[in-house]
Formats: sequence, structure tokens, C-alpha cells
Amino acid sequence: MSTLTPDLSTLANKNDDREKLTFFGWFANIFRAIKSVSTGMLITIKYVLSVKPVTIEYPEVREELPPNSRSRLFNDVDNCIACMQCSTACPVDCIYIAAVRRDKEAPKLKTDSGSPIKLDLKQYTIDTALCCYCGLCTTVCPTECLTHTTDYEYAQYTLKEMKYDYLDAEVRAWKHRIVK
Amino acid sequence: MSNNFSVTVTDEEESLKTQLLTLNMGPQHPATHGVLRVEIKTDSEIVASATPYIGYLHRCMEKHSENLDYRGIIPFCDRMDYLAAINTEWTYVMAVEKMLGTEVPERAQYVRTIVGELQRIASHLMFFGVYAIDLGAFSPFLYAFQDREFILRIFEELSGARLLYNYVWIGGVWNDINDSQLKRIDKFVNELEESVKKYHSLVGENSIFISRTANVGVVSEEMAYQYGATGAVLRGSGVDWDLRKKRPYGIYDKLDFNVPLGTGEKGQQGDCWDRYMVRVQEIFESIKIVKQCLAGIEAGPVMGKVPKNIKLPEGEIFYKSECPRGELGVHIISDGGKTPYRLKVKSSCFTHVSMLPEMAPGMMIADFVAAIGSIDIVLGEVDR
Repeated sequence: MSTLTPDLSTLANKNDDREKLTFFGWFANIFRAIKSVSTGMLITIKYVLSVKPVTIEYPEVREELPPNSRSRLFNDVDNCIACMQCSTACPVDCIYIAAVRRDKEAPKLKTDSGSPIKLDLKQYTIDTALCCYCGLCTTVCPTECLTHTTDYEYAQYTLKEMKYDYLDAEVRAWKHRIVK
Repeated sequence: MSNNFSVTVTDEEESLKTQLLTLNMGPQHPATHGVLRVEIKTDSEIVASATPYIGYLHRCMEKHSENLDYRGIIPFCDRMDYLAAINTEWTYVMAVEKMLGTEVPERAQYVRTIVGELQRIASHLMFFGVYAIDLGAFSPFLYAFQDREFILRIFEELSGARLLYNYVWIGGVWNDINDSQLKRIDKFVNELEESVKKYHSLVGENSIFISRTANVGVVSEEMAYQYGATGAVLRGSGVDWDLRKKRPYGIYDKLDFNVPLGTGEKGQQGDCWDRYMVRVQEIFESIKIVKQCLAGIEAGPVMGKVPKNIKLPEGEIFYKSECPRGELGVHIISDGGKTPYRLKVKSSCFTHVSMLPEMAPGMMIADFVAAIGSIDIVLGEVDR
């Protein structure tokens, strides 16, 4: 296959142009080796004796993430006005929203920030297996109901289970959930 | 029937002929830094030829970008060079800003430079640790990761993610940096200077390391020019070329730093040791830049005025900047719509991978591992 047929005898000679070993050179070699190895060993011993462990034993000890860490997405559906801006901004299209117009006779609802809710949310699902956690959906949300939480332990056994429907009562209760 | 199995040797020389052994390295190999497959033809220990095969991490980013708005492409830019995501997205964002004519606030420029240089330090620390592993030393990797961890933690506080930040936005940066974070960065870079000196004396001055890397994988100045090498590979061969100096972007024209070059101190100019040394010295230069930025940063906004729906004017732009691995070029062609008509990325790692077939002949296999490590490739950027 290869058209390249190098002359192997010249290839082998390439590595043989090392300096000739003399009597003093031999001792100098030993001295240099001991010196450089002991420099390294000194640093290692210093670390062994003086530096505290920086690792944590994960399942027993859990680290708290910084407050604006981008982990599990949570949508507070009571404040959602179904404006679809998050699903438009999403670069991987992992937010599925379905909403119908609210009845005129039904009692008027408002979000916490005061904007009227004109659409009834029927489905708000995020496929967290598809999500790339870029955070673009949370920045466009006008009522700030879609947020990233600092909870990072929500893996499931199947891909289907990774689709979280935020109208579901169980997922709704996860607003402040952090696995401890 | 017996004719099929009979061996007729006419020539004695023919029967003693040696053959080249084909060896597959990768795509799942710890020394290839990702999913690179290299087909090596060897004569016992000596490599006769090497052919890299790429494409195992192709995610169709360029084509996918044609269906995304200009803000939505930034997360995909992160995923190209995942070890230096800030620099990658900064390059893309600068190209869009240049075309859009956006003014970036002064503070945002300083914040970008600080995070960009911290990312360069993190990337070079990663190189330092992984290169030592390639050559058989394990503990430097842990030391380097301890310092890299601080940088990732600061980035996590700033942007929310540890590797794929989406922090540099069109018109500025996402979140402002606060004073306590600046103070912690200042303390960190002062300590880092000492510890990198220590790490260098542990690895770079070690005589085993020197004999593994000096005179190995030599890239001559001419070869670097011919292949179009950039970054530390080009500077390791002694060519004084750094986009931050030659064509300053951001606030780099205000900053004072040197461009370290390979000198051939331990062997020939352009060998693996030179490339290692250029990167270690670049850490010190980055520390210098971060210190100057920390002294010069002033209060102000971090986001400029950007329209809500970004539409670039019709036309095209090619913009490049100095990333830790070399020059990254972004070519955007716009037809005036919400999405780019075409986005092409020129990756430095791809250039460096294509240099392997010329570097390889005559090397030992173990030296070839050292050569792959020294050009510091990230396969996410090669395949995109």
C-alpha cells in the first residue's frame, strides 16, 4: 500500500550518533543521574510530608458547587408563561413545550413578577440527556422561572427516564433538591 | 492439491527478506491524546512510516452551525478545543464582533484577557502533566492538576461550568468578575510562579526526561514553514511569530510580554524539549500578562450594546487568534440572515497532525509517542 520504502539501514544509523563514552564520562553520567533523581525525590518527599490531601472521598463527602453552577435545569411551571423563548434559544432543541389558550371565563392568573398568564401549559419537558448545559435558555427567560440548580445527581437507568416533565408532581418537588 | 502449499525458494536472499510490520496505534490508545489512529510501519523498534487517520471525533460542527443563530454557535465552539474553550469561543466571538461592528467595553476586554490567559495556563499545565505521563512519569500530572483545579474552580464560579464555559459572549462576557475573585487570582498566580519553577526542576531538568526528548522529533524551521505550523511548534523551531505580538487583538498591544523561542539548549533547535520549554516559559509570560491585567482592570460594564437578534451584514470575514495550541482561524460567510451561510474553522492541531508522517521515519516507537505528545493535539479541534 505504502509507496514509501525507506532504506532501513540508514534509519538505524540515525540513532547511533551519540557521544562516545569515556571513563570520566561514565562517572559524570552516574553523578548527573543521582543529582537529577534526588532533585525529583526531594520535591516528592516534600509533598508527601507537608501537603494536605486535596482529593475528597466522593460518595461520603460531597462538595457544594458554586451558586451559579450550571447543573440540573428546573422550571417553576407556576411562573411559566409558555413564551417558547427557551426552546428557540436552545442549540440542541431539547425543550418540548405544549400550551393551549386559557379560557376567558377562567380565573385570571399572574406570575410572581406580575405578568399575566395567557396560555395553559400542557407539557414542559426537558430531555436532560440531550441537553448541553450551555445556559442559553435560562438567560432568555423573561420571568426567570427556568433556572439551573446546583444539583448534579439525577442520572437514570434509561434515556427515556432522563426526559423530565416539569408538570409532574414528583419533579415539581425537586425545586430545592440537592442530594446529600 | 499439493502444489498450492509448496514453497519454492529460488533465491536465498528472497527467503531472508525482512518485512515491515504494520502496527495500529489507537484509536483507543492513552498516548494518542484522544481518538487518533496512527498506522505505523515498523522495522523492529524503528518506525519506517506513520500515517495518521482522523475523523473519529467528527461532530459536524461546521454544518450544524449553519442552522443555528450566532449566539447558539458559541457552545459548539467550546466543544472544538475542549481544553482551551475560552480561547476558542473568544476567537469566534471576535470574528462576529468585527463583522457586526460591536464596541466591547474596556472591562470586558480585561476580563477576557484574564480568563484567556488563565485558560492558556490551564492548557499548558495539562500538556505538562500529560506529557510527563507519556514519558512514564506519573506524579507531575497530579501536581499540575492541583493547580489546574484552581483555574477550573474560578471558571466555574464565573460561568457555571468547568470545561465548556459559554462565557465569552458577543459584546462582552456573561458574568462580571468580582473583587474577591480578582484577589484570589492574584494570590494564585503569585504562588503558581514558584510551583511551576518547582515542577520544571522536577521534569524539565531531569536527565531521563532530557534524554527522552532532546534531539527527538526535530521540526526544522523550514519544515515548520512548509507545513504552516503555528503556536508552540513554530516557536519551538525558533520562529518569532505570535499573533498577540504581531497582530494584537483585544488589549494585547497595551501589555508587555515576551515571546519565548526554542533555542536548542539541550539538543537541536525544534526538538521535543524545545517545544516543552516554550510552553513552560509561556506559562510565566501568561502569569505576567494576568498580573498586568489585574493591575489595570477598572470598574465598568461588561456587556456592550448588541441587538437582540443578531444579523450579520452580507459578506465574509476570516479572523484568527493565538490559542494555546496555535492559531485558530474562523471564516464566517454571511448572507445577511440570522444564521451563517458557511462557517469554516482552520485548526492548528490538524496542521500539526499532518506533520507526523514527516517527523516519524527513523524514530523509535517510544520516541514517536514523545513526538505526538510534544505537538500537543486535541482531537476535538482536528475533527471538529
